[in-house]
Amino acid sequence: MSENKPVPVPIWRRDFPYEAAGEEEVTRREFARYLVLGAGAIAAGNVGLAVWTQLRSINTGEPRPIVALESVPVGGTYLFRYPSAADPAILLRVDEREVVAFSQQCTHLGCVVYYQVEENRWHCPCHEGNFATLSGDVISGPPTRPLGRIDVEVREDGNVWALARHER
Amino acid sequence: MRLSERGRRTSSAVLIYVIVLMSFQVFLITVAAEAFIVDDEGQAWATAGVSVVLAAAAAAFLRYLRP
Repeated sequence: MSENKPVPVPIWRRDFPYEAAGEEEVTRREFARYLVLGAGAIAAGNVGLAVWTQLRSINTGEPRPIVALESVPVGGTYLFRYPSAADPAILLRVDEREVVAFSQQCTHLGCVVYYQVEENRWHCPCHEGNFATLSGDVISGPPTRPLGRIDVEVREDGNVWALARHER
Repeated sequence: MRLSERGRRTSSAVLIYVIVLMSFQVFLITVAAEAFIVDDEGQAWATAGVSVVLAAAAAAFLRYLRP
């Protein structure tokens, strides 16, 4: 095909001979350049999100009292936030002296889990994810990782203390 | 300067590649946001890596795009 052969007018152009103002002002190279710049910006955003996610997991929290043990009945739960105010957590009093605590965020898509007394498990109602009561391991459903565990202990003052959070 | 039919087709193909890569980037940002929500660092870094590679590929394609 000759280099000098004129490009035929497309049929759609003959049928709809309308021209928008400034139609010829952006070349395909410029358009592609905008797309590449957009792709670069999104890539930078993805890297930023990865760094932010990493930094959040580094913050495991400082030891602090959560609640008085006697104010939580055996088999009862207590909601709190740890390590930051943006991290919902849940504590379960297993028996007279034993308590366990986990991040309340389901590891599937971040919905909050709650304790199902009759089933004796942590349950996520969004997609029916279930976790073991004492370990937080996945029992069933779409989650692939166990619940984030929060180390807790009952101290002499009768308070339950949160010590640190562990993502697993 | 007029482009040959082949040149126009090549440019169109490259442009479509760039558009597809850009669309995939939009998908990846949703995956990264999901990883952020559930504190999954592994998934977040994997997504960021793929996203950077795709952005570099889109920039490389731009070199072969005619005006």
